[in-house]
Amino acid sequence: MRKCKVFVGNSHPQLGNLVCENLGIEPAPATLKKFANGETSVQIGVSVRDEDVYIIQSSSQDINDHIMELLILISACKGGSAAKITAVIPQFPYSKQSKMKKHRGAITARMLANLLVMAGADHVVSMDLHASQMQGFFSKPVDNLYAGPTLAKWIKENIPDHKDAVVVSKNPGGTKRVTALADRLKINFAMIHTDRRRTVDGFNGLMKHRHCKKSPESASSGSSVQDNIASADIQTARIVKGHVLDDDGSLTVESTPPCKPTLHHKESELNFENNDSDDEDEPEFNAEEKLITLVGNVQNRPAIIVDDMIDKHTSFIAAAEHLRMNCGAKSCYIVATHGIFNTDCLGRLNDCPYIDGVIVTNTYPISEESMKKFKKLTVIDVSPIFAECIRRDHFGESISVLFDSLASIV
Amino acid sequence: MSTNSIKLIASDIDRGLAELVAKRLGLPLTPVEFKRDSNKEVLFSIGESIRDEDIYIIMQIGAGPVNDKVFELLIMLNACRAASARRITAVLPNFPYARQDRKDKSRAPITAKLMADMLTTAGCDHVITMDLHAAQIQGFFDSPVDNLYAEPSVVRYIKEKIDMKNAIIISPDAGGAKRAAGLADKLDLNFALIHKERARANEVSRMVLVGDVTDKICIIVDDMADTCGTLAKAADVLLDNGAKSVIAIVTHGILSGKAIQNINNSRLERVVCTNTVPFESKLSQCPKLDSLDISGVLAEAIRRLHNGESISFLFTNAPY
Repeated sequence: MRKCKVFVGNSHPQLGNLVCENLGIEPAPATLKKFANGETSVQIGVSVRDEDVYIIQSSSQDINDHIMELLILISACKGGSAAKITAVIPQFPYSKQSKMKKHRGAITARMLANLLVMAGADHVVSMDLHASQMQGFFSKPVDNLYAGPTLAKWIKENIPDHKDAVVVSKNPGGTKRVTALADRLKINFAMIHTDRRRTVDGFNGLMKHRHCKKSPESASSGSSVQDNIASADIQTARIVKGHVLDDDGSLTVESTPPCKPTLHHKESELNFENNDSDDEDEPEFNAEEKLITLVGNVQNRPAIIVDDMIDKHTSFIAAAEHLRMNCGAKSCYIVATHGIFNTDCLGRLNDCPYIDGVIVTNTYPISEESMKKFKKLTVIDVSPIFAECIRRDHFGESISVLFDSLASIV
Repeated sequence: MSTNSIKLIASDIDRGLAELVAKRLGLPLTPVEFKRDSNKEVLFSIGESIRDEDIYIIMQIGAGPVNDKVFELLIMLNACRAASARRITAVLPNFPYARQDRKDKSRAPITAKLMADMLTTAGCDHVITMDLHAAQIQGFFDSPVDNLYAEPSVVRYIKEKIDMKNAIIISPDAGGAKRAAGLADKLDLNFALIHKERARANEVSRMVLVGDVTDKICIIVDDMADTCGTLAKAADVLLDNGAKSVIAIVTHGILSGKAIQNINNSRLERVVCTNTVPFESKLSQCPKLDSLDISGVLAEAIRRLHNGESISFLFTNAPY
């Protein structure tokens, strides 16, 4: 590739090097270090004049440092008269803050977009943006790649009875994402809704309804309009402290001792994400109990929970417990694009007996140590997708073929 | 000394909402003059000085000549900018092109972003809107955007005009589940959801109802109703599953194309739209339509914005 330089940031060098390997080139030399006072220093070791520059930088635990590093790199390349600068950001940082929470919230993802453009980025490549509307935050072109085809391939090759499987969205907001994957695999999908409000009364009402309705429903189902099916497939259970209860109300899973209430309170206050009714966000499990409802049928089938990122474990574990214990799922896999895994998230998922596998891509750095330690974790390499995108972009070819038939993922 | 008072400006077509807002604020609409050439070019002038004033341009954009109206708005914004207004706020209860908010296909434009850029370029300092199709559109602007909610007004409407004890809130698609759940929460009602299962090989796509609606008054809530085909189908599904009656409440009743025909032929009992979109002319053609006035929310937002007060009160309360 002539007139092309690929720089690899410090956030996720493994992925960057894999991309370069796929392209058959060496990463362009650059010295990235920190001054004693914490400022980032960037030195580019090669001429970029009139070159097509790609900078690969993902999120990481030191997110702000790495954003700054990316901005300085872009700015340095701009100053070095690069012809075109493309920021390749496999996992876009701050992407959860893409809309204003009800009161005086900042739209940090938009601010970051402005910063990137201001620093001199001409083009941005990312993967499975949390909200696809984020493409509108940039005044420059954005290519949002999809991990879906890769994940679908993995499912086909590694889940033995995948033809029978059901993909499950763990919240209503992710349903569209799930339907695209279901369509691709030509399998069914289901949805989980966690109700924050209703308590025991609502639950009992539902249960009563469920039991008494069963017989007339089966009788009338033959005559009912072909296009519609009624609510035969709802399964509801109660969640207390993040764990699913049986119908009789006994807490079946006693995994961790409940933390001190004061700590919980503090946590929920700090965690602004939870305080808001963001559709994709997990319900607050430290709050009172709530209802979890499955819409669809997973009886004796493998269930595959799909989402765009895994950062907290609570809702995944509750969903898995519900699927396996109450809804009769044969096995349960969790599939996501970005494995961000906060603190003990990976450990908890690995220890949960109802989860058979956690599958993520390598858009976000995951330490060697955790990959070895957690047997249920599978990390899929998506560097060929980025490499191909860079190659096609450099030669001015269409990249829409990379979207495959999954362009409808939202 | 500058006065810096509120000046309300509206187009000469579809002034209904602007007049209601002006009445609530006790202010006259600023006299303006429009001339339209035969080729539809617009000549616009403002009839009095607006130097150093706080300008609010109220524009109802719905079905029909959307682009003409957008251009009219841009010209009005630019005229105010040129006339040395201190601050110009565009009041767009229904944000045009809000549905084209992402690249859903390869090479699709993000027209909502283009709209935001155009408004800013024309001279807009602030935007007031209502129930944006996607909250992320707020981020398309670099200037502040106040996204108001019709929900408090809808809550009041349901409490006053519908037999609430026997009602249930319905979301017509999976994407609207959050909105429906929020409203159900406020009213302490149950909610159910309809979702369309994708067509697969040798299978017809079907509408699936989740939840029990037997003998209930179903209230379908959505942010936008265009041709109303989905609403009509949803009503069929609900009534086939034993619902007593079906009422739809939507924020933006665009009602384009065959909407009126679809509503008249459907089994919906009533369709309630707020007046963010002008549809007064359609009320006479369709006895099932009802309107819900949200001018109070806009007027209060304008008053609060002008006086530098917090607007968040309006997220949970509807002023009378």
